[in-house]
Amino acid sequence: MRRAFVARLWQSLIVVAVVTAISFLLIHAAPGDPFSYENSRISIAQRDQLRAEAGYDKPLPEQFVRYTWRLLHGRFGYSFPHHAYVSELLAATIPRTLALAGISLLLSFLLGMAVGVLQAARRDGWFDRISSSVLLVFYSLPDFWAALMAALVFAQWWHLLPASGMTDPMHDYMPFWRALGDRLSHFVLPCATLTLLTVAGIARYQRTAMLEVLPLDYVRVARAKGVPEKSIVWRHALRTALAPMITLLGVLFPALLGGSVFVEKVFQWPGMGLLAVSGIESRDYDVVTATVIVGSLMVIAGNLIADLLHAALDPRVRA
Amino acid sequence: MSKLNPVLTLSLAALIFGCSKTDARRSDSPTGGTLIIAIPGDPIDLFPAFAGDQSGAAVRDLLFDRLALIGPDLGTFGDTGFTPQLAKSWTWSPDSMSIAFSIDPKARWHDGKSVTAADVKYSFRAFTDPKAASPVAPLLTNIDSVSVRDASTAVFFFKKRMPEQFYDVAYQLYIVPEHVYGKVPFDSLRTSDVTRTPVGSGRFRFVKWTPDVQMELIADTANYRGRPNLDHLFLTPPDPLTGATQILTGQADFMQAFPIDHISELDSSKVARGMAAPVSQYAFLGMNPYVAKSRREPHPIFGDVRVRRALSMAVDRTGMLQNVFGGLGKIGHGPFPMGQTASDSTIRLPSYDTAAAAAMLDSSGWKRGRDGMRSKNGRPLRFAMLVPFRSVPRMKYASLLQEQFHRIGALATIEQVDTKTYLERSIPRDDRAGDFDTVLNAFGPDPSVSGVKQNWATAGIGGPAGQNFMLYSNKTVDAAIDSAVASFDPVKAKAYARRAFQQIADDVPAIWLYDVIYVAGVNRRLVVPPLRMDGWAINLADWSIPVDKRIGRDSIGLAPPAKR
Repeated sequence: MRRAFVARLWQSLIVVAVVTAISFLLIHAAPGDPFSYENSRISIAQRDQLRAEAGYDKPLPEQFVRYTWRLLHGRFGYSFPHHAYVSELLAATIPRTLALAGISLLLSFLLGMAVGVLQAARRDGWFDRISSSVLLVFYSLPDFWAALMAALVFAQWWHLLPASGMTDPMHDYMPFWRALGDRLSHFVLPCATLTLLTVAGIARYQRTAMLEVLPLDYVRVARAKGVPEKSIVWRHALRTALAPMITLLGVLFPALLGGSVFVEKVFQWPGMGLLAVSGIESRDYDVVTATVIVGSLMVIAGNLIADLLHAALDPRVRA
Repeated sequence: MSKLNPVLTLSLAALIFGCSKTDARRSDSPTGGTLIIAIPGDPIDLFPAFAGDQSGAAVRDLLFDRLALIGPDLGTFGDTGFTPQLAKSWTWSPDSMSIAFSIDPKARWHDGKSVTAADVKYSFRAFTDPKAASPVAPLLTNIDSVSVRDASTAVFFFKKRMPEQFYDVAYQLYIVPEHVYGKVPFDSLRTSDVTRTPVGSGRFRFVKWTPDVQMELIADTANYRGRPNLDHLFLTPPDPLTGATQILTGQADFMQAFPIDHISELDSSKVARGMAAPVSQYAFLGMNPYVAKSRREPHPIFGDVRVRRALSMAVDRTGMLQNVFGGLGKIGHGPFPMGQTASDSTIRLPSYDTAAAAAMLDSSGWKRGRDGMRSKNGRPLRFAMLVPFRSVPRMKYASLLQEQFHRIGALATIEQVDTKTYLERSIPRDDRAGDFDTVLNAFGPDPSVSGVKQNWATAGIGGPAGQNFMLYSNKTVDAAIDSAVASFDPVKAKAYARRAFQQIADDVPAIWLYDVIYVAGVNRRLVVPPLRMDGWAINLADWSIPVDKRIGRDSIGLAPPAKR
């Protein structure tokens, strides 16, 4: 088991190295650079001077070697558009993204599993049919469109929730309870959008897993012994049907991170996704490469944790 | 000197009339209130020597002062129309080769220290030192030096006597505190943390900036020019559609450029209204005189002035204006925006005449084929239009132009690109022309004729101040612009400028489409005086919120944030 874990770590390092190289090359291949911003007062000569000062006039292989060297020393570089070190920007934005994605993931699992179990328990009943159709609609919605519609309906038309941001600009001036309410109200739309888009997949998975477990012998024995149906479903069958969901956790976390890029953009949630998008738009080389590296690290970490949990729960995997 | 020169005469007039306006801007409007402003993006730079993007320029105008403020008519001749800011008064030397500015003794930096002549001298160095690489530096080349006569008097010495030498100092130069920024080497100013927490002398003070989230400014209640009416400003950078939603729901109070395709929602809104926000920009379809990315080979289509003229005659500029902007649009009159000193609405442009356009293409060898499209020596009359897809008006114009070109047998394709790609391809590099056939571009020149020189004279190709991105060159134009810049007689200067504009119009390097207009989204509880063309934020200290229209956020006052 330990050997397999070490091997996975080495694989992960290779993946990160490849991802770094690809993202570095791709963003440098795109037209423009951090100094081609829209300021007509900056002359061509001055733009070239700034490029030279930042080292962007050097051949690409040299730039890549310099970047890798810096990275190995723990330096992600400097963001010229933000006038800040990339490590500072990541330190500020990663917790916001993790909070959004993490809470959405938790809610998606709770809701998805509950729906999946109920669907399986009442297979082909009205709840199974209606909820499957509704969830299919959510599942098929593009994330950016769903986010836009949510903002349009709940913020612009009905004025129920704030349209964007993490807090109101006046947040620091609010008393405690109002500030808490403000923070929660800003959380609702982005979190609900991410949750609803993910919950269908989880419910489907849970339903299938439950349908595989419910006909098993030990469930039949429990029924024969007169164990109440609720207890059979929620205590006995669900426990067995949880194992595949752990694997799903490892797969869904990266997907949720990807989805949060769009949701963060639409709701102006100042997380790593928004940072990455603004980095791409402004050709902020160091920011784009750093967010891709951190994103890939999160994906790898998610998968590793899922593997470890799976192994902890299933002795066959440990062997 | 036997007679008084015009600059001296104008400066005397300004001393008598202009300097007495110091207190004119103080209003009786009620103080208090909080404003949330949706800005187009985070400011790129907060140090005035670098700030040039829209958001950075707005913050600069709120936090920093010039020595004198240009008049609302943007007159650049002598010191006519300029009103005092940090300089309480100024005195021209008898030969007009130097100007002594007396600093207002009441002026203080936001950290409480006095503004001195040494700060003025430092500011000039920060703006012109090559290591700082300020984009303003090439515009200050006529200033020879700045000396400190005493603690409150800074003297500017000029290399040549020029009509716009006062404008060069007063308009281009913002004054920054030496004791704050002087410790940072010029080549580190751009990346220094010091420039992220600006200290100025403007009527608002910097409080806090969280990138991508918001910037907070507060009224400088003891400001030498008077307390601003509003207490607090919060600048947030939503994307345009989110910003529009915030304006329509009252979450934000002001947005300078409300999305043009959503303006009708302002008309029906009870929360917000639309308001003209003039800007000094004009938009055009530029035609590359060279093959893309080349400077040796003339463009096979646009190298011929007859083709350029025919294409210009093929488009209904007025109809397109109506189509895109409705009643709000302003037609383009030439290589300048209206509202500037040299602007001239009488320049003769090729008139809309599709029959004449077709005949001109016929006579220049571009004949119609069976499919109705034209070609010459086997080469089809086909070209691409480079457009930034984020610009809604330019995207709409591209479609309309495409349709009208098609009618006379020219096939135009639309290349929609993101902003960075657009900039990369539309700006020439080294000895290469821009990477486009035609480009839907917009220029925002300085108010002086020198701005025209940067954009359309041969001197603007390459060089430190080069912004002649269309690589247009004509010696007649160069000479006329030089004469306009050097003339001390405003009438003659305008006549020279007109000659240059007419020559450019006759050469048809571009089709002049429209003067850029913005419609601001403004919360109905705000009282906003007409916005200035040189910057919407310049008179923001005079905006107010009537007491009976205030809402919850207007009551936070000047108190510090709640402690939690």
